[in-house]
Amino acid sequence: MPPESSTVSDIRASGAHHSRRPRATHVVGQNIGLILAAAILLLSIIIFVGMFAIQQNRLPGNFEITSTVNNTMPLALAAIGQTIVVLTRGIDLSVGGVIDLTNALAAIYLAGSVAHMVLVAVLVVLVGAVAGLINGLLVGLGRLQPIVVTLATLSIFQGLAIRVLPQPGGTVPDGFTAFLVNTNAPFALFFLVLAALGWMALRRSRLGVDIFAIGNDEPAAIAHGVNVVRTKVLAYTIGGMLYALAGLFLAANATSGDATSGNVYTLTSIVATVLGGVSLFGGRGSAVGSICGAFITTMIVNILFYAHINPLYQSFYEGLFLVIAVVLGAAIGHLVRRGRA
Amino acid sequence: MLARLTPDVLRILAAYGAAVALFVIGALVHPGFASFPSVTSILLVASFVGLVAAGQCFVILIGGIDLSVPWVLNAAAILLATASLGQNARAFYAIALTLGMGALVGLVNGIFVVWFAVPAVVMTLAMNGVVEGLALGLSGGMTCAACASYAPPVVAAAVHGVFLGIPAALWLWLIVVLIVSFVLAFTRFGRATYAIGNNARAAFLAGVNVNLTTVFLYVLSGLFSALAGILLVGFGGQASLGMGDPYLFQSIAAVVIGGVSILGGRGNYLGAAAGAVSLTALVSVLLALNMPEYGRSIIYGVVILALLLLYGREQRE
Repeated sequence: MPPESSTVSDIRASGAHHSRRPRATHVVGQNIGLILAAAILLLSIIIFVGMFAIQQNRLPGNFEITSTVNNTMPLALAAIGQTIVVLTRGIDLSVGGVIDLTNALAAIYLAGSVAHMVLVAVLVVLVGAVAGLINGLLVGLGRLQPIVVTLATLSIFQGLAIRVLPQPGGTVPDGFTAFLVNTNAPFALFFLVLAALGWMALRRSRLGVDIFAIGNDEPAAIAHGVNVVRTKVLAYTIGGMLYALAGLFLAANATSGDATSGNVYTLTSIVATVLGGVSLFGGRGSAVGSICGAFITTMIVNILFYAHINPLYQSFYEGLFLVIAVVLGAAIGHLVRRGRA
Repeated sequence: MLARLTPDVLRILAAYGAAVALFVIGALVHPGFASFPSVTSILLVASFVGLVAAGQCFVILIGGIDLSVPWVLNAAAILLATASLGQNARAFYAIALTLGMGALVGLVNGIFVVWFAVPAVVMTLAMNGVVEGLALGLSGGMTCAACASYAPPVVAAAVHGVFLGIPAALWLWLIVVLIVSFVLAFTRFGRATYAIGNNARAAFLAGVNVNLTTVFLYVLSGLFSALAGILLVGFGGQASLGMGDPYLFQSIAAVVIGGVSILGGRGNYLGAAAGAVSLTALVSVLLALNMPEYGRSIIYGVVILALLLLYGREQRE
């Protein structure tokens, strides 16, 4: 892998604008990944709406929008968590295991009064936080590589999930489902907006700046007094909490639990993050882009469905599209950066 | 000799130590675990992980990774069965075709990683999906008439056949271990691999053809995955969907436990081979203890973490 040059990006991350180029060009150059992700999302929505309109003789209505949003919620939340970890130049393969575990816990313990359900939901998110904390401590304090740490903890969390819920089952109360993923209207977008606002607050906080600094150049961040261990531990912990939220939404969607239904999210969260324009080399990207990335993956599945593609070929087209999107995104990003130099 | 006990050598020795320790523990908890037939059957299972780990080791040594292993292996298994139709006469053609498929997939991976600068994680992940979709689609979800074919008898014999008391597949793995270790340690290609893993730019300035070497390493990874797929069909008789899934994480874990740095440039296939044996022995011990699935999964993760904490930590700057 060619190492990315980091000297220029350090300066950018620390917020110093030395260049004299126009501000608009600068903003575009800085957020090219996010802009491309939004553009691809818009394009995929247009294609989908067009195909839907031709075949159904009407525009996608409340039902289609609601189910698309509800189905994407777990992936969107998992992708935000993955993004925060990836920004520190890490990667989290334990996403699937944490979602498995939290989904299983939710399916078993969610019941009774509203107060009880709130308590259970909070405890489930805490379990996710502990899972992330373990990852963070092993990566930060243990000085182990993120990819192997989370590979091992993935196995541990998957095992715990199967211990909690050996057979698919359990029930999620209707009230819980109605609150998180109301099937009558896309109310879940409210939670997504909350998540996006939370991301914007995080990015402007000290922790957010530290996360970007570490991802861009760890030695330089240390030299500037960034507490690398603390920042990494917090990044993985926040990630774990978001995976737990994804597990809750997944349980609400399915109205029951399955200790293996979260496994796919390890890879799909990485796909959504990459489609969202986040650099896997750390220090560049936005969780808003990853939310777009999550919706792009759902839209691709929708488009393939309405294009009457044999479902067996689905992963072929998804893989093909991922490569094309990354290659084109890199090419356009390259052109934009060169154009303003 | 003592002077050559560098940390890298110690890591490989630790991986072998872990493998031996697991066999000793197995023998203590389950008499007969360390008997000759038991050990050979465990090593036979380890050889499949070990072969995939050979390819994985090559790409990890340059700081890459190959996530396309599961479906290259699975597609290879399906292709071998459907192309050979279980006939010895078609075996050579089927094996050549299958290995060619593995090499082609690796070639495309390498080309996109090198010339289109797609991160290895993304490229090989996408390729896994591409191969999965093609394998599922072209075989009609394993419903095609030829999909039920058995492995040709010669391929089955190449796995199960016994030579000097040891299964033939183990001899094959031993040869692979010797060749790969020799290539990495003593050839120009091996030195180029380590040079790229340590510092691609320095390697380029020193006259290494970084691009071609990188592409070739991904080709090798595809080849080894396909080879493992062929042998697995020979071992189990038929191809099935999802048979490659366990091999991704196992191959990475074997390589890392074997003392190869995931960042590249350090480590040796001798260690990765020991890692494959350790992992398989661990699972066998847990199975011998009648450990339920969840317990195996948890202990598997804990042991990998323990081994990593023992000797896989980065140096403090």
